[in-house]
Amino acid sequence: MTDTSLLALVVEDDPSMARFLRATLEGNGFRVVSASLAREALALFTSHNPAIVLLDMGLPDGDGLSVTKQLRASSGVPIVILSARGREAEKVEALDAGADDYVTKPFGTNELVARIRVALRHAAREESAAPERVVVGPLVIDRDKRLVTLDGNVIRLTPIEYKMLALLAKHLGKVVTHKQMLTEVWGPSYTQQTHYLRVHMAELRRKLETQAARPRFVTTEAGVGYRLRES
Amino acid sequence: MSLLATAAVIATTVIAYPLADMLGVEAIAMLYLLAIMVVALRLARGPAFLAAGLSVAMFDYFFVPPRLTFAVKDPRHWLSFAAMIAVGVVVSTLVLRMRTQAEEAQRSRLIARTEELRSALLSAVSHDLRTPLATITGAATRLRDDGRAQVDAEEARALIGSICDEAEHLELLLTNLLDMTRVESGMLDVRREWVPVEEIVGAALTRMEQRLRDRVVEVRAPDDARLAAVDPVLFAQVIVNLLENALKYTPPESPIEIEVVGDESGFRVVVQDRGPGFEEGQIERIFEKFVRGSHVGISGAGLGLAICRGIVEAHGGTISAANRSGGGALFTIQVPQRESPPLVPSEVLESNASEAA
Repeated sequence: MTDTSLLALVVEDDPSMARFLRATLEGNGFRVVSASLAREALALFTSHNPAIVLLDMGLPDGDGLSVTKQLRASSGVPIVILSARGREAEKVEALDAGADDYVTKPFGTNELVARIRVALRHAAREESAAPERVVVGPLVIDRDKRLVTLDGNVIRLTPIEYKMLALLAKHLGKVVTHKQMLTEVWGPSYTQQTHYLRVHMAELRRKLETQAARPRFVTTEAGVGYRLRES
Repeated sequence: MSLLATAAVIATTVIAYPLADMLGVEAIAMLYLLAIMVVALRLARGPAFLAAGLSVAMFDYFFVPPRLTFAVKDPRHWLSFAAMIAVGVVVSTLVLRMRTQAEEAQRSRLIARTEELRSALLSAVSHDLRTPLATITGAATRLRDDGRAQVDAEEARALIGSICDEAEHLELLLTNLLDMTRVESGMLDVRREWVPVEEIVGAALTRMEQRLRDRVVEVRAPDDARLAAVDPVLFAQVIVNLLENALKYTPPESPIEIEVVGDESGFRVVVQDRGPGFEEGQIERIFEKFVRGSHVGISGAGLGLAICRGIVEAHGGTISAANRSGGGALFTIQVPQRESPPLVPSEVLESNASEAA
């Protein structure tokens, strides 16, 4: 088990937070290397080639954003950001720079492990192909047939609604930022038109959710983006 | 102000001139004194001096014999002139002193109020930080020192449960303190975006999902996804704080209802519960900071609702509280909208998404 277990790189300058992360990851079958500085993190990344990176956004010698960019320049390694509440802009920047997901401090171990698993699964999938059929409880998104069903009934979606849902399904379980959605669905020149996204999202929810204001499939992360939840 | 002073003296002259023979010079001197006094009481020192000087000149020219000259036949009139100048100087000086004193008193009241708030903050914070910390320390040391030998599984679960709960309290308190500081310092950066209010309510409910899992929450929102110009992150915080408040003050079986209503002029969000509601006289103060509901055994620094008010007012809106008929608390947020929302190009429904492939 130990030989085949995945290696996680933890980049966190607070020692007790780093200890907690190490204990949690080891308890979930990972091996752990940790760094408390940005340059140390980059050196460890090169020498150890970890399967996943947990990155604190506030480091003493450089911000998490630049580390994200430097890692992304050479690698597709899954990166999960650790950030504080009220720093949505920081999270969005890191996500748009290529980070896979984020957790807001303080967080529980369940949430952290769930985010890591989703990020790892997506990374593994990038190498093969994205699945053609995504199932979230009663909701089935069949990308091959361009067909969406809820409890077996076909849901009639407009092209934009379908594209939004298919994009979220492709990133199942991961947050997708407003900018990413606008770029993918409308095009790169529409990244400021967040109201397009919001109005069409409201319409999509009306078709999928029993209560649009209390969504169970596509949740809103205020100031960041949307997430299609795993069942 | 000088103009007013001049006008007062001229008016006195105009009134007194036709009555000069009937009243006599002494009475007219009294009229001027009266005018000077009014000016000195109402206006600043400069205009009072001006009024006194002008009065002397006009009184001398128009009334003191020989009239319509500045000559003075009877030296007793010099006394009237002196009295006019003296009244102008003395009264205006006294008024100035009184005003300065009043301002100082106000300033020191303000300082005292700030001090009071600061010490209230300190005591609230130190109490609210210490209590959860004491619980966490106690529970954690028991788990550490006694090991598995003496703590049975059930006790361990209880201890760990209280560590988690209290840590959650601390997190909430710190978030509120930081938010309050931002509201107070005017550093609240309102980034308005066009967003349906129901989406904000949804984001708040998602954030509170774990805490609300055993509660009945009813949401009523219109079907039209009307856009409003608000800061979605800050506004979600308002809803979260109201939900926190409802969780804190109402029994677990009390349902929470959220209603969104909107038209061209603005939107309204109503959050209501079936808890104990408010006591008399409490409603007016509930949005002030450090004011908390008077319920035994409920901790909190009394910041959540003050933050709500800060955020809502930064959006040009109002928040109010009331007792709900039939029991419970009712919070109403009202935010006016000045601009009409941008248009979103509509889209034709594909005849059937499945046929498109």
